[in-house]
Parts: sequence; structure tokens; C-alpha cells
Amino acid sequence: MSNPISGFGLGLRSSHYHDFLLAPRGVDWLEIISENYLVDGGKPWHFLERIRRDYPMVMHGVSLSIGGTDPLDQTYLRQLKALQQRLEPAWLSDHLCWTGTDSLNLHDLLPLPYTEATLRHVVPRIAAVQDLLGRPLVLENVSSYVAYRADEMSEWEFVRELIHRSGCEWLLDVNNVYVSGINHGFDPRSYIEAIPAAAVRQIHLAGHETHPDYLIDTHDQPICPAVWALYGETLRRLGPTPTMIERDDHIPPLAELIAELDLAREQSQAIFAECRHAA
Amino acid sequence: MTTLGRLQQRFQSAILAGDRTPGLFIDEENDRRNGVAIYQQAYRARLAGALRDNYPVVHRSMGDEAFAALADAYIAASPSHFRSIRWFGDTLADFLAGSPAHLPHPALADLARMDWALRGAFDAADAPVLTSAEVGRLRAEQWPTQRFTPLPSLRLVELAWRIEPIWKALDEDPDAQTTAPVFDPHWLLVWRPGLDCLWRSADADEAKALQTLQQGASFAECCAQIADSAASDPAATAIDYLRRWLADGLLAKAQR
Repeated sequence: MSNPISGFGLGLRSSHYHDFLLAPRGVDWLEIISENYLVDGGKPWHFLERIRRDYPMVMHGVSLSIGGTDPLDQTYLRQLKALQQRLEPAWLSDHLCWTGTDSLNLHDLLPLPYTEATLRHVVPRIAAVQDLLGRPLVLENVSSYVAYRADEMSEWEFVRELIHRSGCEWLLDVNNVYVSGINHGFDPRSYIEAIPAAAVRQIHLAGHETHPDYLIDTHDQPICPAVWALYGETLRRLGPTPTMIERDDHIPPLAELIAELDLAREQSQAIFAECRHAA
Repeated sequence: MTTLGRLQQRFQSAILAGDRTPGLFIDEENDRRNGVAIYQQAYRARLAGALRDNYPVVHRSMGDEAFAALADAYIAASPSHFRSIRWFGDTLADFLAGSPAHLPHPALADLARMDWALRGAFDAADAPVLTSAEVGRLRAEQWPTQRFTPLPSLRLVELAWRIEPIWKALDEDPDAQTTAPVFDPHWLLVWRPGLDCLWRSADADEAKALQTLQQGASFAECCAQIADSAASDPAATAIDYLRRWLADGLLAKAQR
């Protein structure tokens, strides 16, 4: 399957609106947080429409709650569909998680127990979303700080089976794999190797905080060397894959993020030059 | 209720209440491996951050510590039902008004009303602004049924206290020294003719006139309402209002 976008992107954040109006070099595409544009007008739409003229975009949501046990929120889905029609993104993603139950939203990406029952619960929900949106849903692996006693399989076994049964596609967050790997004591490479390469649409990179007993996925600092190394291994396995950096806190000037994105581009170019040379 | 549903309820209850979740997680008896605490802290921090974004002047007015205590109490009383966190805090003014413990001065609830109205106008629907020149081109026969529609961003806010000078001072300077506001029931108008929000104070008669227009009344019906109010010269008052609304850029061009 070919990707309608390629290269290296960034998450569009309001502090960079004016910078992106100048269409700086070094950013091939942008990812928006869908919820930020589920509003009627004002600055969010003023800037989004103008920036969209210069950049391919993808939509990334945080409140689909595909693993939740409340019914899918049809109002939210209709809003997403309207946003999709207005923005014409290359694809639309959310997370493999649940965000709340009994009509509440905890505004967090909570992990699911990796069980056959969960698979049977989530697969039809993915189908319903894909039917409504008329396209494959792209799901992302989340960072986690708890592991359920109920788990019957590893996260990567669950993801592989979910992709197989639902036809969903994958947003592989390399930082999240690393964070969860350290937190739960698994080898992040096992995870990366298990994900069907043909299903991966996009890669996320981000920074995390290191605490004595946990890594915490904070998106507030540069990508650490171990995640860069895992990214390299991921690229060797997947081939060229659209990659973007997420930064949600302590957001630096855009030039700094573009410089960090250049590191991803350089690493990718070096790996594939090496591959061509070896071939 | 499925096993997954019960598990999610128990996990959610633990996050909301700050409790442990016996039997749910591997390693949960190990204090150093209490991953649930990370979710509990992140939940409160994220919602408190949303409240700070939505109520910047209330935050400045109260200071970090008192605002954090208010946020904790509000989060406990009003968990989010919204898909987007942008809407979290919609009932903070009423919560403040009903919570003397968090209310060093009753006018704080009015500051919250002003913050929220501005937040609402910020990303409300856009509409082109009606100009005086366009109104000047109306023919005489159009006036009896003419409707003037306020911008979709217009918020009419009833205030008990004259808080606007405090709001303005704190908006411009987080460390501004302010004095207690006076009790002076009136209205606040908030609207957004372009990308930036505007506001001004208004009396109850003007706010009610705008309310009738928001409800779809014709200008003639609006004038009748003005005549029913205490205005000594209703015709002149109606014309003054209209002139001012046009000068403010507060009315929307008619949709074709």
C-alpha cells in the first residue's frame, strides 16, 4: 500500500501558527489534534485553513475511546467526519485505549487488558468507525504504567491480532514502545518486530521523563538517544515511513523542532543509503 | 456488564478517588510500582491545566495555590463529560458562587463569567460584520420588518459586580495590584468581529434589546421592547443602540 504522504512532519501547535504561514522548509506534512478543531470558528480555523493550503495533513484524535465500554459517541464521530470532509487528511488516527466510562472522559489514554474478550469487543467498534468514516482507522500504541493481571497475551501479540481481524492500520509510536518496554520489562525490539510492516502508516517520535521507577510519556523534551536507536531499528524493518515529532509541553521555537526533525531525516537517509549500498 | 466494563469502572473509580485498585494490576502491592498513581496525578494535572487555560484571569486573581485548591474541588465535583477538554470548566462560575470556601470575594464568580464568555467568543462561529453603510442603504419599506442579527460570538453576561477594571488590569499584568470591586449589577457584552474578542459593559435595557435580536425578533419588535423599558425617549434610545452596535461591529451581515 502506498502512502499518500511521505517524509517528515510535525504536530501543528497554536504557538507555531504564524511560523507555518511562512511555510518554512524542512517540514513535509503536519498532524493536527482533531479535538482542537471541533469548534465553529475563530483563530483555530483561520490559521488551519491557511496552513492547510501549504501542507498535507493527517488528523490525530485523543477521545475516540475505541476500547471503551460506553457506546461509541455518535455526535463526536459525526464531528470527526465533518472535519475529515473539510480538511481532506491523508488519514485519521486515534489510540488503542479507553478514555473513560459511564459517560465520563478522563482525558487520558488508558491501556486495555490484552485478552481475547477485549479483541472481540474492540474489533466490531473499529469496523463501525471505519464504516462511518469510509476509510481504515489508524490506531496508535499508548505508553502505559500498569499491566493487568487479566492479560492473556503481550501487547504486541494483541496489536498484531487486532490488525489482522479488523483491517485497521497502525501509527507506531516508537517512544511509547520504549517507555512501556522499560516500565514493564519487555524488549522494545520484540514489539517492533511483531507489528505487521504493511499496516504501519506513520511513526511518532517524542521525548519522555525519566523517574526512578518509571519513564513517563510527557512530550516535553527532545527525543532521547535510546529512542533514536530504536527508531533506526524500526526504519530498517519497515522501510521509509512517514515520521513526525510530537511536542505538547515546553514547546520550543519552531526552528528547534525542525532541527530535531532533521535528525530523523538524516538518520533515515543514512539507513537507506546503507541499505542500497549493501544491496 | 462485561468483565471489561467492570474493570474500566474500577480503574476509573481509582483514578477519580485516588484509591488503590486491589486485584487489578500486576505489582500493585509494591509501593514503588504504583502505576495507578501516575494516572491519578496526570488526570488532576491535565484538568487543572484546562481550567487555568479557560480561566486565566481567575487564576491570576487567586494565585497558584488558591486556584489549585479550587481546581481540585471543582474536578472532584464536576468530572468531565466532554470529548474535548477545551470545554472543561463550563460551570466553574456557578460552582464558585455556591462554594463560599473557595470564594474570598463574591465578585470572583463574575470574573469567572467574564473569562468563560471570552473563551466562548474566541472560537465561536464566524460571520461577516454588518456595516453602517449597508444599513444606510435600507429602503424605508424594509424597516418595519428588518431584522438585525447579532454576531454568533455575542455573549450577554449578567454581572453583579463592577469587575471589568480588575479583569483588564490582571489581563494586562499578572501582578497588577487591584482593589475590591463595587456591587453594581449590570451586563457585559463579549463579541468577536474579527480574530480578536472585544468586550464592554452595558445596562440591562441594552442587553435585553440584544437578547430579543438574538431570539430572532425584528428591529420593530426590539423597539417595542425598548419602549416598554424605562427609556425616557425610546425612539432615540433605539437609534443610539443601533448606531453603537454598528460602530462596535456587533451585528452580522444578513445571510443570503
